[in-house]
Amino acid sequence: MACSPRTPPSYRSRGDRDASPPPPARWSLGRKRRADGRQRAEDAEGPAKPADCRRPDSFTTPEAPKPRPRCADWASAVEEDEMRTRMNKEIARYKRKLLVNDCGRERKSLLGSCGSKAPCAAPADLETDESVLMRRQKQINYGKNTMAYDRYIREVPRHLRQPGIHPKTPNKFKKYSRRSWDQQIKLWKVALHFWDPPTEEGCDVQEIHPVDLGEMETESAESSSESQASSQDHSFDMYEGTPTKVRHLDCHVEDEFDLEACLTEPLKDFAAMS
Amino acid sequence: MGEPGREEYRIQSFDAETQQLLKTALKDPGAVDLEKVANVIVDHSLQDRVFSKEAGRMCYAVIQAESKQAGQSVFRRGLLNRLQQEYQAREQLRARSPRGWVCYVTFICNIFDYLRVNNMPMMALVNPVYDCLFRLAQPDSLSEEEEVDCLVLQLHRVGEQLEKMNRQRMDELFVLIRDGFLLLTDLSSLAQLLLLEIIEFRAAGWKMTPAAHKYYYSEVSD
Repeated sequence: MACSPRTPPSYRSRGDRDASPPPPARWSLGRKRRADGRQRAEDAEGPAKPADCRRPDSFTTPEAPKPRPRCADWASAVEEDEMRTRMNKEIARYKRKLLVNDCGRERKSLLGSCGSKAPCAAPADLETDESVLMRRQKQINYGKNTMAYDRYIREVPRHLRQPGIHPKTPNKFKKYSRRSWDQQIKLWKVALHFWDPPTEEGCDVQEIHPVDLGEMETESAESSSESQASSQDHSFDMYEGTPTKVRHLDCHVEDEFDLEACLTEPLKDFAAMS
Repeated sequence: MGEPGREEYRIQSFDAETQQLLKTALKDPGAVDLEKVANVIVDHSLQDRVFSKEAGRMCYAVIQAESKQAGQSVFRRGLLNRLQQEYQAREQLRARSPRGWVCYVTFICNIFDYLRVNNMPMMALVNPVYDCLFRLAQPDSLSEEEEVDCLVLQLHRVGEQLEKMNRQRMDELFVLIRDGFLLLTDLSSLAQLLLLEIIEFRAAGWKMTPAAHKYYYSEVSD
């Protein structure tokens, strides 16, 4: 039979284009080398490209919804991965918590009590954007990485917290606008200052009073009561003087200008960023 | 677990002052300069082959201690930065000190083996480790018994994990290994034996078959 050997359609079409050679598995019929060890003609199978130039600059992995840039710095890449896996666990835990709460509430209403609590966000209303969650988590970490927070959680156990008096960490899984979220964080951190350790010099930083936390969940930034305005002014000075524990430094450039980070991070670390 | 003994982390090879530094790092990380500790450990790994095989365990312990005490990762960051620096200059290291190069590969594979992040291996190290192994599988390295020995040892230890993370690169690596085995004329017979063994080992799913064990290792027990 004088017909040419059949080749799989994909191979035939690829021969017309200048594409990278298919993986060796498909060439089980063909051999790369002759009996004397020399490679066969280049155009038939093509040499294996060195691994380096096949590596893309960015890649998508199953866990990530969008392409991730190749991180030049191993330490930062590992820290990011750690945050990401921790984040996924937290999301799963939070969703489970919501389901459990919903079950509880249904039981109550069945028994006839008129629960006046607002319904919890259904899982569909959660913030799931990874970059948003990471950014929010970093902001929360800045607040939790303070002596004030340390003293606060030691002084007031969670079950004794009274809403409106005791600050509550903003919930990063709920949907908020950027402004709303940033405002909540700001108010939360200001509120935490109440638990700042006493400094040696008596300065009027100590004169602050707990901020009215009823403002915390509201959307608009315009609702400025007296206390809020004055504590905002204080807050600018206090960020510089806030006693912190060893700061958690992150090298990633925020997509928006992060004033607080600039104020609290020593300049030399910016130089270290590649 | 009681207080880790010197034997557990093989720190006998350090001088007394450094041993004290390391012990303190394990017990009270906040009291020492953790970046310095990281440098000390890396420096020593590049000199001491025995230590480079087991240093990962000690590093893991320091990381856990620091995380528990302060929730920070200064040590890990210092360690990885240093590791990355040495990686970027690995060709020069190999030229300058073949022994140091072998120690480095042993060390980075050991780190990859032990240091996990939330029970996952460190993704950032996968390609660098592969790059090192690819270098070891080059013809000029295969001519050196020490480098062949290092290559097969690391593949025994972390090959299966590496393959899970990136199968294609493992396939490519073994193309090089097979090519080396078949085509290089200046391979020592020991090198040939080592390469053949690892080829069979992988083909058997990273396991030692009884027949292979009998062939390759029966002489050892005699």
